[in-house]
Amino acid sequence: MNGPVEVANPVIGKPALRWSSRARSIAQIEAELGKIWTSISLTTSNQDGVPERHVAARSSVMNLVVVAGRGEIGERVASIVEGLTGRHPSRTIIVSSADPDGPAWINAQIEAHCMLPSATAPETCSELVYLTCGGESGQHLSGLVAPLLIHDLPVTIWWPGEPRFESHAAQDLLPMADRVIVDGSGWSGDGIPGLAALAQLPNRFQLEVFDFALLRQARWREAIASSFDRPGLLPFLGHLERIEVRYAAAEGTPGAANIVRPLYHVAWLAARLGMTVVDPVSAGTGAWSGYDAMLRHDRKRIPVSLRPIESAAPRGTTLAVELYARRGRSELVLEVTAYAEGVVVMTSLDDERLPERRFLAPRRREPDLLALTIDAAGRDSVAEEVLAMTATLVGA
Amino acid sequence: MVTTKEKPKPRPKVPKPAPTVAASAPGALPIRDERLARDGKRRRTPSHHDVNPLREGLRLERVPDPHVMVLFGATGDLSHRKVFPALAQLWRTNLLPTDWALLAVGRRPYDDESFREDVAGSLHVNCRIQLEPDMEKDFLGRISYIRGDFADARLFDDMTERLESMHDDYQTGHNVLFYLATQPSAFPEIVQQIGRCGLDHERHDGGWRRIIVEKPFGRDLDSAKRLNREMLRVFRETQVYRIDHYLGKETVRNLMVFRFGNGIFEPLWNRRYVDHVQITVAESIGVEDRGSFYEETGAVRDVLQNHLLQLLSLVAMEPPATFEADALRDEKLKVLRAIAPPDHQDVGREVVRGQYGPGWVGGEQVKGYRGEAEVDAQSETETFVAARFTVEDWRWSGVPFYLRTGKRLAKRATEIAIQFRDVPHRLFQDVATDPQPNLLAIRVQPDEGILLRFNSKVPGLGLEVRPVTMDFTYGAAFSADTPDAYETLLLDSMLGDQSLFTRADEVEAAWAIVNPIHDAWLDSPAPDFPNYASGSWGPEQAEHLIERDGRRWRRL
Repeated sequence: MNGPVEVANPVIGKPALRWSSRARSIAQIEAELGKIWTSISLTTSNQDGVPERHVAARSSVMNLVVVAGRGEIGERVASIVEGLTGRHPSRTIIVSSADPDGPAWINAQIEAHCMLPSATAPETCSELVYLTCGGESGQHLSGLVAPLLIHDLPVTIWWPGEPRFESHAAQDLLPMADRVIVDGSGWSGDGIPGLAALAQLPNRFQLEVFDFALLRQARWREAIASSFDRPGLLPFLGHLERIEVRYAAAEGTPGAANIVRPLYHVAWLAARLGMTVVDPVSAGTGAWSGYDAMLRHDRKRIPVSLRPIESAAPRGTTLAVELYARRGRSELVLEVTAYAEGVVVMTSLDDERLPERRFLAPRRREPDLLALTIDAAGRDSVAEEVLAMTATLVGA
Repeated sequence: MVTTKEKPKPRPKVPKPAPTVAASAPGALPIRDERLARDGKRRRTPSHHDVNPLREGLRLERVPDPHVMVLFGATGDLSHRKVFPALAQLWRTNLLPTDWALLAVGRRPYDDESFREDVAGSLHVNCRIQLEPDMEKDFLGRISYIRGDFADARLFDDMTERLESMHDDYQTGHNVLFYLATQPSAFPEIVQQIGRCGLDHERHDGGWRRIIVEKPFGRDLDSAKRLNREMLRVFRETQVYRIDHYLGKETVRNLMVFRFGNGIFEPLWNRRYVDHVQITVAESIGVEDRGSFYEETGAVRDVLQNHLLQLLSLVAMEPPATFEADALRDEKLKVLRAIAPPDHQDVGREVVRGQYGPGWVGGEQVKGYRGEAEVDAQSETETFVAARFTVEDWRWSGVPFYLRTGKRLAKRATEIAIQFRDVPHRLFQDVATDPQPNLLAIRVQPDEGILLRFNSKVPGLGLEVRPVTMDFTYGAAFSADTPDAYETLLLDSMLGDQSLFTRADEVEAAWAIVNPIHDAWLDSPAPDFPNYASGSWGPEQAEHLIERDGRRWRRL
């Protein structure tokens, strides 16, 4: 398969491969990308086999550069990007490296995936370049990627797995990015070193940072915020006395579970409520003791605990957020838990249980999260504050 | 009058809404200010100042205050097709406050349970996304029904009592949102009764009162003025929310963002660059089962006076100084006042009316208007109107605005088309086809989006010019779910934002434009109806109206 791919019956709303070719140099890749729009077959056959002409339009909204590292990550990412063809057409370059000690080489697969949004609308197409580089080529990513970017369109770098922001490749690539996407919940150990490095990126490279780990928690934040929309409960926000986040762990040793998500909950609350960090998080001494920190709100010290709970859920998954507040003689306890399809808030006021509230909000998957980051317009000041607070919390 | 015996299950009580907010929360007022308003006597309204700091960065930075909604005409078609499904969607997406309840008012004999069952049936048919069973149960559980005649004072006395108990049960802070989804003829007596019971009074401790009124706002200028007078005798203008659901549509709201959020279009948005504007609201359906209503209304009252003139004013208005309700409505009003009401002669020349006859729509044979149920066999009611208006101000003087609306037209389509002027000099004289003037089309429905047409050279050795389009479609560009107009407008009314609602003076200004049309028609000979076939684009005279100026309607 080298060149246009015939599609017998295009299905509305379903992307189809319309071009596939290979190249072994950047110049060849550029030439192949150019050919797509002059040579792609614009004629398809309808159900009766009669040729129909559809106009294919390249309507890219961004350049997406995926630093895949390993080949299998690249394949997973490609299927996610392909699913977004209709809504967020882009030029995607998936970079993976192999044989770092061998001679320099490049191997690229160039594809175009097109989709009919409706019976009458023109096809929209996305370009996909799988770029595998060997030897020293892998150390000069910006030189490989820059010629392939569509100019004037924002550049988003998606770094699945564990980014090494101090590496030569990262230092080379990040200056050309407008946005960087990571998933802190997948980092090894407790994830704290990665968070410290991530928090420095916005200022260092003038880019926006999106962490899927933080985006996934939007449903928790919505539920917690909604609980305090009730005029009777809102005043308690100024009188928090304790914050506890419980997370899933397989073993109780500190560092055995990633605590990025639990930390984000605390950082969000602290940032929004104007708290300061007195003592950054530190691991407890005993097994299953988790981590502790101390915040300050006005003159009040607010202890924070992150508690590991033995659970079959993926390590580091937030199991519950508990807030304890006392205002005058009234005590409020808010316990928030989540399930696949939503979040549940249980509230007790002076030991009286208020009606449980369920927030229907399914857990977001990677394609939804990627679409969300693409849809997001401009800087997310709240996310930036959370990231900065997280860095302070981890003592960075 | 019968009221239902069953009371909604009371929720466990939470303490009375506290007058103060978190002392250190952003937006919080000092305690002293909380206790004493400016005059040292009145306590402030908590709803506008109690900011939940956790809300920043979330979908809504403010959520509606707890309240009871009182829906008059709750058993009617509008309530079941639009209002309940919109409320259910707001409930589904957690945009309604937890402490929310609805008191449905109607004439039909229901109790709470049977009415809830009826609403559940409507939700299953009309909701764009179905509610989870638990959620639906919770939503329906907040709806109570009270039966009575709007002319009967006892209904309102009972309602007042019922509201008091709902305020206690749901801790609503005495906030009430009235919604008049009834025949317009019932508006004055309902409003009067609300006033008699003192239910319009906003409370010193913060309880707000608002009223949503459905169109038509009167049937001519006099009746509109009368209705506004009745309404404003009881409520203040800041409490009144007149719904024109077109203003809640996503594309219409985007029109303001498009015009005032992009630097490149506004400099072209004037008589120097715009040749003319076409606004079309075309429906493929007939009058359905609303024959008697339509006989009294017609296309001018049903669409031209409100939707079309509102769209025109949004297209033609000057940028408001702020994006606040009154600043926005002041600018729209200026546009309406800059349209000279047509005299009898103008009506004959600039306005075309039509009525559909039998024909074929979407492959189906359909009846003519006079054959529809509850329609007079000799009816002279117009089901189509096309008109040419000019906005005589500095920006638009001399630019015609062609407006048309009709039922049983070839397709359902609402579009605003800005046709730009031709290039001043034909540079490409040897090309086979002349370059076409640029066009900007804003599709309100269906396929909501914006299209820009410009000319391009056809690739090749010769010089051939062909128009090409850049087409932005909402559904293809954003993954976010588009809310229904009623969801947007209901939420705005709950939040106290009047930007998308029409003000009394706007309504009267619009009537002042269309009133002379009806007056002229009354003095004219009977129209030659039906004068267009169902499934066509209206009567031939409508084509002449625009062709006379050397232009043509867009084929949608």
